[in-house]
Amino acid sequence: MTGVKEVLGAVVAAPLGWLARLLDTPLRLWQRLAGQNGMVAFFLLPNMAIFTVFVLLPLVINIAYSMTTGAALFLPERTYVGAAQFERLLRCTDYTDLMTCQEDQFWIALRNTGSFVVLQVTLLIVAATITALILNRALRALSFWRAVFFFPVLLSPVVVGLIWRWILDRNGVLNAALVGMGMDPVNWLLDRNYAFSAAIGVTIWAHLGFFALILLAGLQAIPRDLYEAAEMDGTKPARVFWRITLPLLMPNMLVVIVLALIRAVQVFDEAYVLTGGGPGTATLFLTQYIYEVGFASLLKNPGLAAAASILMGGVLIVLTLLQLALGRKNERKGKLK
Amino acid sequence: MSRVMGFLTRRKGGTGWDWTDVFTFVWLGSAVFIMFGPALWLVMSSFKSPAQLSEFPPTLLPYEAQTVAVEGYDRPLPLFSVTDEAGTRQLAEVRRVGTVAQMVDPANPTEVQRINIANRTPMREVGFSWDNYLDPFLRFDFLTYTKNSIFVTGVATLITLLTNSMAAFALSKYEFRGRGFVVVLIIATLMIPLSVILVPLYSIVSGVGLINSLWGVILPTVATPTGVFLLRQYMLTIPDELLEAARMDHASEWQIYWRIVLPLTAPALAVLAIFSVVWRWNDFLWPLIVLSRQEVYTLQVGLNAYAGELNVQWHYLLAMTVITMIPVVLVFIFLQRFITAGIAGTGLK
Amino acid sequence: MGRIQLHDIRKSFGAVDVLKGIDLTVEEGELVVFVGPSGCGKSTLLRMIAGLDQPTAGRVEIDGTDVTARSAADRGLAMVFQSYALYPHMTVRANMAFGLQNTRMPKAEIDTRIAEAARMLEIEPLLERRPGQLSGGQRQRVAIGRAIVRRPTAFLLDEPLSNLDAELRVSMRAELSALHDRLGATMIHVTHDQVEAMTMADRIVVLRAGKVEQVDTPLNLFNRPANLFVAGFIGAPGMNLWTGQAKGGSVQLDNGATLPLPVGLAVPDGAVTLGIRPQHLRPEVGGPLRAEVRLIEALGPESVVHADMGAGNGLLAVLPGQPDLARGAVIELGYDPQSVHVFGADGQRLG
Repeated sequence: MTGVKEVLGAVVAAPLGWLARLLDTPLRLWQRLAGQNGMVAFFLLPNMAIFTVFVLLPLVINIAYSMTTGAALFLPERTYVGAAQFERLLRCTDYTDLMTCQEDQFWIALRNTGSFVVLQVTLLIVAATITALILNRALRALSFWRAVFFFPVLLSPVVVGLIWRWILDRNGVLNAALVGMGMDPVNWLLDRNYAFSAAIGVTIWAHLGFFALILLAGLQAIPRDLYEAAEMDGTKPARVFWRITLPLLMPNMLVVIVLALIRAVQVFDEAYVLTGGGPGTATLFLTQYIYEVGFASLLKNPGLAAAASILMGGVLIVLTLLQLALGRKNERKGKLK
Repeated sequence: MSRVMGFLTRRKGGTGWDWTDVFTFVWLGSAVFIMFGPALWLVMSSFKSPAQLSEFPPTLLPYEAQTVAVEGYDRPLPLFSVTDEAGTRQLAEVRRVGTVAQMVDPANPTEVQRINIANRTPMREVGFSWDNYLDPFLRFDFLTYTKNSIFVTGVATLITLLTNSMAAFALSKYEFRGRGFVVVLIIATLMIPLSVILVPLYSIVSGVGLINSLWGVILPTVATPTGVFLLRQYMLTIPDELLEAARMDHASEWQIYWRIVLPLTAPALAVLAIFSVVWRWNDFLWPLIVLSRQEVYTLQVGLNAYAGELNVQWHYLLAMTVITMIPVVLVFIFLQRFITAGIAGTGLK
Repeated sequence: MGRIQLHDIRKSFGAVDVLKGIDLTVEEGELVVFVGPSGCGKSTLLRMIAGLDQPTAGRVEIDGTDVTARSAADRGLAMVFQSYALYPHMTVRANMAFGLQNTRMPKAEIDTRIAEAARMLEIEPLLERRPGQLSGGQRQRVAIGRAIVRRPTAFLLDEPLSNLDAELRVSMRAELSALHDRLGATMIHVTHDQVEAMTMADRIVVLRAGKVEQVDTPLNLFNRPANLFVAGFIGAPGMNLWTGQAKGGSVQLDNGATLPLPVGLAVPDGAVTLGIRPQHLRPEVGGPLRAEVRLIEALGPESVVHADMGAGNGLLAVLPGQPDLARGAVIELGYDPQSVHVFGADGQRLG
């Protein structure tokens, strides 16, 4: 580690240090003139300026944007239409048949995202829990096993998408394996159900390690002596799991579930690179819908995209509040650390 | 090795085989295969020639056709193993007409034999198509994409560390009116994803003239609430007495930030730096929207564009995917400890 | 150089008054100890002098100059913090140099000063180490060294010994006193430990609930406590304090015992509190104090006797040697009337 530190020190810290010394004299002057509040303003300014322009402002504008129509980019040039965009998104003649909806693509994306969230989060949490439980008992070479599961987490979604596109290719290695075992090859990415399953499988593959790691941290925080006490009492392993491990893991588990939900609702990049939303609309998800309506399609309608993103934002805010509430509860109980 | 064996033969309680032992073995065994397999397959495939890539079933290792220099022929000839009534021997192909090939024995180049192509298989040896890696840089724009990605990652990370740590310092070490409000504001936006503000953000970035500029990719990402939050939590644990000691020592507030607080926040800064590098290197959706001209593409956008072409040139695409993966894998190998600690501690990513 | 004057210093946090008007003069070269129970405002007062906190009202003067509005850095003082507050990422040398560099002192001068301080404190071998590699006592020395190199007009020490173990605390106490003699600088030392205050101070400032209770030399504080609080706070074990009614040169306690008062002390008739230090009681057959022994702490050279005089009046006596007493035994004690302290109904000393 020292090697990295020293290199960073020489390449980054040294010139920055020089700059910092240069800044000292004017800043001392400013401190004298403006006092402590002046310094607070100075420290906050860069971050808050960027934050305001690129996070807060868009949040506010988004609402105004969703009430306008037209192709113009800048808000003042757009036509006000009230709630028409929301109406367009949500209106269907027959709610049992999505094809009768005015924006059937939105509804398809919504349905796809809904099934994706339910299936992916369930499978992901189960797999992550099993993995964490196993890692928690296999203490030897833990860092190796942790690495095995964690490795795909850092890969870029584009890389993940491409890796699996290559494997699931019609002439890819998976089909070769099937043929080798005497089965028929499958057109993985050109069949609606297989493509959808692939999107679920690949996103689980990419994120499993992350969630397993948080759960593992939770498991390791459970005091060992509880298990020893249970062992002294002759408690059966299954009972230990249901009565000790799971209840004590619950706070972490809830946070992990909400986090997984938040991520799943926004699913985009891996699936987009893997399938491009296809075949047809089989893997069209909400974020891709927003992206395409807002930027990519021929019939760009940024107002409609903004309206859709507000609906998605609403779901996310609910989930975020839930997470914050759970997090605060955990903090009070002091179980996360 | 003995450690590995020790681990592999370790069982619960040490005697007998519990079902959980079996399950653990199966789970971990298949994990190695499923988690590492795809990336390894990508790396091995990336060294295959286009012809080999279109083979089905694919070979495990990359091969290239074995050739032999034969007297009387200008170019090396591909070598085949021929088995027919005359026995098994190695011949070089001169030319092929329909199902019949004209072949010569390298030892006896004057005598041309006519062989049915059903009776021969090409001789191959393990070989790597380095051209897959060289061509995209020499003939296509991947060098530019790489430079763009490095610029975006480096600059965004530096700005993130600087601005976030300054804000975190102000929010953790000073009492001032409105501090609570700012903190709540930042926490409230912790989980607002980019996809919710895509459209208005685009209009703002466009309004300040940063479409098709790398700065348009960098700026919206640097004021991360996550970074401010993480650093603030860490700075809160630095005792105020240190700052007071520095004040008694004639240090200006800027010096206190730079020479006392920042060095002491190094562990948290390292975690944020690592994550920032990974995030910015991997960013896809926002660059995809902001960058529409080839010369400003980042690697991720370039790869996607390349993969979206009608006739995907997989041999180049796979090689470039590997290139894109390398920095992240390096970060992972060398800084795994930091990363896992960061995630376990903060739920960051 | 080094005279510090406080004029009616007040500090409020919201509705809570922490300091309620403090007037005090610390003379040049004096070692003054602020002592008091936790929450009495002694640390706040020190921080006010340092300039780390601003008083709500009042004036701080150093050598006659009003420095109330000046920042901590510009007061020419040095402080040793309770946690030492050594910069963990800097070596001992860098810790000591930091403040001097900030005043743009030439490097040669910095080196001389550090070498000098290191020699004085015997921390020369530690100069290249980091605080994390030092023991508690060593850190303490470095923290003092960091103050010394600044050559401040006065040293402010905020409970500097409270993080040391008992043995080390005793030796550091002596060293600090020796250091004060050698440097001849003004020092203000804050502690909640009255033994520390008694052994080190030229003068002690006893604080309670944001007010100065008494300022005097350690012995005067012990011999002539100005009020009930100081009487109870200074000295260990604590002074016996009994309430009773004064009448014609003696006091009748609630339990009926009648105790003589010092000769020549005019005490008006009425409610008073009588104070006698446990060390001033001696066994005396037929003495004015009768009590039943509850507990004996035999310390070897002396014994602390906890006894009960009835009617809720306890009694503490420190008797020389190892008297042959058992629980439940009744002892009779007497004293020299001149060693008795008398406090009026308002808690102030009489006479």
